[in-house]
Amino acid sequence: MKIIIVTLILIGITLFAGIVNGSRNNVTDASDSFIDSPLVFKIPKGFPELPLNIFAKNHLTEAGFQLGRKLFYDGRLSKDGNFPCASCHQQYAAFSTSDHDLSHGFNNSFTTRNAPALINIAWMKSLHFDGAINHIELQPLAPITSINEMSENIDSVLLKLKKDTMYVRMFKAAFGTTLINSQRMLRALAQFVGSLVSANSKYDKVKRGEEMFSPLEENGYRVFKSNCETCHREPLFTDNSFRNNGLPLDRYLCDMGRMNVTGNKEDSLKFKVPTLRNIALTYPYMHDGRIYSLYNVIEHYRKGIQVGPTLDSVLTRKITITDIEKRDLVYFLKTLTDTSFVKNPRFSQPL
Amino acid sequence: MLKWFITPVFFLLNLQVLFSNDPINSRGLFSHTGTIKITFVNVVKGLPMLLQSKIYTNSFGEDYSINKFKYYIGGCNLAGSKVAHQDSDSYHLVNESDTASLSFIFTAEEGIYDSVFFLLGVDSLYNVSGAQTGDLDPANDMFWTWNSGYVMAKMEGRSSSSALNNIFEFHIGGFAGRYSVLKNIALPLAPGKLVVHKGSTSEVIIQADADAWWQSPNDIRLSNSPAITTPGIMAKKISDNYSKMFSVKSVSNH
Repeated sequence: MKIIIVTLILIGITLFAGIVNGSRNNVTDASDSFIDSPLVFKIPKGFPELPLNIFAKNHLTEAGFQLGRKLFYDGRLSKDGNFPCASCHQQYAAFSTSDHDLSHGFNNSFTTRNAPALINIAWMKSLHFDGAINHIELQPLAPITSINEMSENIDSVLLKLKKDTMYVRMFKAAFGTTLINSQRMLRALAQFVGSLVSANSKYDKVKRGEEMFSPLEENGYRVFKSNCETCHREPLFTDNSFRNNGLPLDRYLCDMGRMNVTGNKEDSLKFKVPTLRNIALTYPYMHDGRIYSLYNVIEHYRKGIQVGPTLDSVLTRKITITDIEKRDLVYFLKTLTDTSFVKNPRFSQPL
Repeated sequence: MLKWFITPVFFLLNLQVLFSNDPINSRGLFSHTGTIKITFVNVVKGLPMLLQSKIYTNSFGEDYSINKFKYYIGGCNLAGSKVAHQDSDSYHLVNESDTASLSFIFTAEEGIYDSVFFLLGVDSLYNVSGAQTGDLDPANDMFWTWNSGYVMAKMEGRSSSSALNNIFEFHIGGFAGRYSVLKNIALPLAPGKLVVHKGSTSEVIIQADADAWWQSPNDIRLSNSPAITTPGIMAKKISDNYSKMFSVKSVSNH
């Protein structure tokens, strides 16, 4: 009995110490210690672990996620109010820009690349087609400040947020105090965007034994495995590497890809391999959206590859796909559409 | 039996938690410390740096004025009879247009110190670890949004030698590989001059001379290079120059 009482007292001291510790941390960096309705980031069955522990310092919580969601859909993050993140990352297009090769930004400007679909971003070690952004928290800085995208500056965005009592409440709920700063805004956005996980397509259901491929889809899967899988590796359908896939240089955009970041000639015309998940929804295709249909993408790999010094070695061998295989491959690619992802009410514009 | 053993261990752990929460306090209990104030004074050829209003001449006879002059100082330490560790996570953005940014303080253990050393720039870890706060806040205009990484040092101004609309901009960064511009700076203090004892305050005044940016070992001409704003060979060259801009002007103990 004595032992139990002593133990209880000690547990009490431990808890008290924890409270003292917690409150002290709140003063310095509340976001590291404040935990409100924690969320668990679930790795879907068969998916690899996250390459970077992006939620180690940025604890995933319901309040943080909801704050990030509100920010993602808020035009006030842009200079004139017209360009929220969601203007180029539309949920119905799996968070890409539907039917636009390049997206539209502030003052009738165009972006210089096709808006990438925000799918399973948590598994990416770097962002952008050239890998220029090395952390999910830093990503929003690029579109917010680019003059051909949202054309704003961070201080101005924060001023607008601070004037809105709803945001003051939401930042407090997410991070413990009413402080609104760039780190908290960026971390909330990272919580929302990092949570955009797509793993419930027909393909996933087949893998889980819940559904079956049709014979055409089955044949398409076979074609995929023997021709595409090196780069578009399952289950993410990308290996997130940078490769030159034989697209000729666009003389207007003059986009050298990865070389812009590394300065190495060997990286000329290399771009990050995009995921094929929800590929039927994310047209047009390639880093600059130059190809509008999946058939024409396959046609590029059959006949359009331009040989150059940095062409990926797996593409130097000629890819032979018959027309029947081409059709079936597209059937298979359509099984990667995840309707529950593009219609998930948790990811949609908050009311 | 096991419980009897665990209980005191538990208690000790609690004590440890309570004390380790506050490093300043525990240091105060068990050792003697003094305060060190580091102050940066930015100059051009030894003369006061007057932003926007004074025209200077570099070693190639090119005139220039300075609008912005900023750089990061990280993990400032002293060395001598003991190594005084300031929190290595501490970064300071020295900004000539913000007087408060020119000084910072830290505590050092009792001892006699003969050199001060720091990182000029932001360690690679902080370039790849997501959004930071305080002096490392990306909203401080010292972070590249288009290619993640800090601008370690920045000088902007005007020059009639610049073909770029008479403007020059040096945004010097790059934290990895052969073009890393990170520099470990060590500066000697006059022997026996910096003495720390319990409750003492010492001030070290470090001069940073912008004239060092133009030469030695690499010639940087405004007529050739009015804009150096990406990591690479030119950024590396100018960082090799400016890493030599510091000197200790004075040390005082109170």
